[in-house]
Amino acid sequence: MHAIERILVWLSLQVASLEQINAFFGSAQNTAIVLGALIALSGGMLGSFLLLRGMALTSDAISHTVLLGIVVAFMIMGAVGAIPDISSPWLLIGAAAAGVSTVVLTELLNSSGLLKQDAALGLVFPLLFALAVIFISRYVEDVHIDEDAVMVGEIGIAWANTNSHAFGDYETLVIDQNDPQAEISRRCVNCREEGISPRDPGAVFEELCTNCGEYSPAEAYRAGFSDEPPVLVFWPRSITVMLVLFLLTLGFVLLFFKELKLSTFDPGLARSLGFRPTLLLYVLMSLVSLVAVGAFEAVGSILVIGFFIIPAATAYLVTDHLGVMILLSGIIGSLSSAWGYQLARGRFLGLNLDRLVPGGWDTSISASIVVMMTMIFLATLMASPRYGLISGILRRYRRRREFNDQVILGHIYHHSGQEDQRSELEAGSLRVHVQWEQPVLDRVIQRIRSRGLVEIDEEGCFCLTEEGRKEVESFWQSGLARKAPPPRKRGQIRVSTRD
Amino acid sequence: MSPETRRQSDILIHETAADFDPVLSANDLTVAYDAKPAIWDIDLQVPPGVLMGIVGPNGAGKSTFIKAALNLLPRAGGSILFFGKPYSQVRNRVGYVPQRDSVDWDFPTTVLDVVTMGLYHSLGWIRRPGRRERDLAMTALEQVKLQDFAGRQISQLSGGQQQRTFLARALVQDADLYFMDEPFAAVDALTESAILAILQELRTRGKTVVVVHHDLQTVADYFDWVALLNVSLVASGPVSEVFTDELIELTYGGRVNSLNPGSGGGVGAASSDSAPHGASL
Amino acid sequence: MMGSEAQAGISDRNVWIITGIAILILLLSLPLAVLFGVRFTYTLQTVTLGGALLGAVSGTVGSFAVLRKQSLLGDALSHAALPGVGIAFLVAGRQLWALLAGAAIAGLIGVWFINLVTRNTRIKQDTAMGIVLTGWFALGIGILAFIQQRPDASQAGLDSFIFGQAAAMVRSDLYTLAGVGAALILVIALAWKEFKLITFDPDFAAANGFPIRFITGLLLALLVMTVVLGLQLAGVVLMVGLLIAPGVAARQWTNKLGQMVVLAGVIGAASGGAGAVASALDRDLPTGPLIIVFAALFVLISIFFAPGRGMLWVWNLRRRNRTEHAADNVLKFVIEYGRSHNDPNKPVSSEFLEGVLGSSARRGIRELLLSGRLSADEDGYRLTPGETRDLPEGG
Repeated sequence: MHAIERILVWLSLQVASLEQINAFFGSAQNTAIVLGALIALSGGMLGSFLLLRGMALTSDAISHTVLLGIVVAFMIMGAVGAIPDISSPWLLIGAAAAGVSTVVLTELLNSSGLLKQDAALGLVFPLLFALAVIFISRYVEDVHIDEDAVMVGEIGIAWANTNSHAFGDYETLVIDQNDPQAEISRRCVNCREEGISPRDPGAVFEELCTNCGEYSPAEAYRAGFSDEPPVLVFWPRSITVMLVLFLLTLGFVLLFFKELKLSTFDPGLARSLGFRPTLLLYVLMSLVSLVAVGAFEAVGSILVIGFFIIPAATAYLVTDHLGVMILLSGIIGSLSSAWGYQLARGRFLGLNLDRLVPGGWDTSISASIVVMMTMIFLATLMASPRYGLISGILRRYRRRREFNDQVILGHIYHHSGQEDQRSELEAGSLRVHVQWEQPVLDRVIQRIRSRGLVEIDEEGCFCLTEEGRKEVESFWQSGLARKAPPPRKRGQIRVSTRD
Repeated sequence: MSPETRRQSDILIHETAADFDPVLSANDLTVAYDAKPAIWDIDLQVPPGVLMGIVGPNGAGKSTFIKAALNLLPRAGGSILFFGKPYSQVRNRVGYVPQRDSVDWDFPTTVLDVVTMGLYHSLGWIRRPGRRERDLAMTALEQVKLQDFAGRQISQLSGGQQQRTFLARALVQDADLYFMDEPFAAVDALTESAILAILQELRTRGKTVVVVHHDLQTVADYFDWVALLNVSLVASGPVSEVFTDELIELTYGGRVNSLNPGSGGGVGAASSDSAPHGASL
Repeated sequence: MMGSEAQAGISDRNVWIITGIAILILLLSLPLAVLFGVRFTYTLQTVTLGGALLGAVSGTVGSFAVLRKQSLLGDALSHAALPGVGIAFLVAGRQLWALLAGAAIAGLIGVWFINLVTRNTRIKQDTAMGIVLTGWFALGIGILAFIQQRPDASQAGLDSFIFGQAAAMVRSDLYTLAGVGAALILVIALAWKEFKLITFDPDFAAANGFPIRFITGLLLALLVMTVVLGLQLAGVVLMVGLLIAPGVAARQWTNKLGQMVVLAGVIGAASGGAGAVASALDRDLPTGPLIIVFAALFVLISIFFAPGRGMLWVWNLRRRNRTEHAADNVLKFVIEYGRSHNDPNKPVSSEFLEGVLGSSARRGIRELLLSGRLSADEDGYRLTPGETRDLPEGG
């Protein structure tokens, strides 16, 4: 991890100065927002696929189980004397394995046929979560993990947990005996044994360097070897972890986009083309677990589900293209993390919420990010032009109106020229046939008459005009009523039962 | 709205022109799923005492028709009357056999218990089924020859036995009109003839049975009345007169006889995706 | 679906076995706990009774959730209740009835929202539940965090709604639990046949004129009430386990709905009581998670050992079937062999049998020797004199 982090720091030094980087990550706000955005970007990519596969709640199960993995890993680390470190790759992998095993366990339970899928999920993750909570309260003490952290994480203090990296003219300063700055002292080697004074001509001396060795820039500055203050980059550790996971996810999705897409929409075809959809699924699940572990420290084990599901669901309400959906969910997630941070600090839509409450507005950052995601979802749910509630209601209303016209037109078409034409189409009795409320029927009739589709003939019956007939037939042929014969009543045989 | 059409306080009664007193009469019935018609302006009269098959391609609205009749689906227009009355007034005279795979057969209950469910409605709230209900259910089970299976858990039944259990649940209601949704689907030949025998027995007792059916080859043998349905009603009447090659072709979009495509004409371009088995018809 | 043979082991006796186990666990936990130094203080008595009561209610109500495949709805509900707790606290202060009412209202809004989204958009139910679960939960966490940084200290104990905190339970909570729980169970008893019918076959119920929306709404209300009752003890995350586990465990022992529901109540009560007692073993042990562990233990026992449905039972049956099959093949072969050599008593060597019938022959031979249908000597195997010479049926 350290080497990767160094590369990341080096890369960012290419685009920004050291002071800029330190100033940027020195702010709790920037670090939290970047971290939140990274989680949201990775979660959005994976969540889109989960959602489309109908496995949204699998992320729920995985994120709960991952906690057990983390706790057990901590306990093992504690037992072997290592310092528990949440960014250790071993912990990441171990906890992720625990996550994947939930999926396997659920599948196993499910395949036994003894209980249904939902019950299997509803059993496995509360149990594993319960075990994790028991272990936390019983065995894990003085470690960086408590019940609060499990719930909401500590994204607000991620900035304080840094590694420092030195970059400058040199990485380490080596002082050897030949160095002009070396402090050389001489020591008599045989004085004590032979009982002679150092001034004695027989005394043998060796040269000893008292300050030789390797110095980090900070040490060199303190020791006075270097006049320049040390050049250090303070880099938040969680950023590295999440950035690596994000790049991993991005690489996987970019490389296997075609395969993922196919195996999401048509696993059968994917298998027949040799794409190994099951393998892909398990890689996907592993990545979900890894992201859940990586995000654990920042947002806890429950709120992370929101990062997987909500932005992806929001994007799903807007677009039909998988690529766009993934991109949008990333954008929505990143915006939420920025706005969510503001919300937690009492600023929302330019309002200052601090004044609303005595003692000031201050609440959980990670929870506020998820609340923000939910709000964006709600807004999209209302206003999405294609799949939103309002447009849906309007569309349904419009379609119902058009459909109502078609019901009446079809009825007239159907019975025109039949022997029952008089009784079925008489203007006053239409309501008996369609069984609608009178006002609704009146509106429909008024509408189709004003469109010139229907007339009332001299017998007081409705009949279709030429346009009206065309309208009915085009409605039938436009695919709305596919597979149907022409609606003109043909061969309607009404014979007495008893002949 | 003429006053004589208004018999009940709020229900408009539709006069029908049939020359029999229909047990079931659908008038200008339209049912739609989100403005997409599944059934389109159907006029259908069923005479008493017939064994009727509803036949048509997949997606023709056969099950939709039954569900709309039983108020399980909203109607976009039109009405359905049973014995001249709306369904809510004559529930006790109508029995229903849903599709077998519409329930979870791993439900913890016994065969006798499922049959007793047919009597729950007549019991009203809170009252539990007692000895009388159990006896009635046993009688119904004897009719379908499942009396030895009364105490068995329903998941241990074969497909045919499950179907007969559902049949018994409808029989126990002692209705005058029965709706059955695909009772012959995925049962063995023996069960099929057993079920048919029960249906024929019902007919001899003067009951009317309406069956959604998908096997064209057996229609003529099983039923004496048939309705050909493909979103709109193509034809309905006695089997001998309605179940003709021309009308079947029309129903299935002219795809039944491949030698003579499209002879049914019309919008037949919208081809049926389920060419029926009886290609020789 | 199980074969009929596989379920032959299910009988009413099963129910008594598992009821016995449950009661035994509950009863044993008391002296065992004393042995390990637990003192049955007033608090512990309250918590144990409370756990048992809650387990009984949630097992009973949860059974219907299991059968209606709505297990995860319970999860969404319990998470969604959290903001209700927070808002109720802000409005009415720390009054139990207000907190419970707030939780119930928030939960119902969550369910309503899930239905709204599922019915009117392309989003599927599992996604909608996930959104409500996290969205509402985040709101709740936010509100609780907000309450906690307020200067007054009255918010103590609100945390307990997240993980559950048994120690916060007092005698009057117990009365609430008992009263409301009894009411819930009474509703189930009264509307028994309606609940049964709509759970099994809602279409048939609707066709028969049962008010489906009202009955499902009633069941949902029971579920919400149960979740709300359990929040304080089990917490929002674990409540779903307490709802689901007893029902799933009970289902394995019986094929009758009535027995299943009562049994789920008994198992729930045993888990609740035993979990509460076990948590007193050490100061650091949390009650809610321990109750869940006990409930899961019952599930584990059930899916392995329940006669008729349990995995061991099914495996054993499968093994027996294989053995029978192998024995039949051997017998058939020996008879055929005798016939073709015109000597019914001609012995067959085991190598020959294995060569022809494969390695399963050995299993068949052992079975036949054990049941005395085949006898062995140095020449090989032959039929025992009394054994029928007809070919066995089947195969």
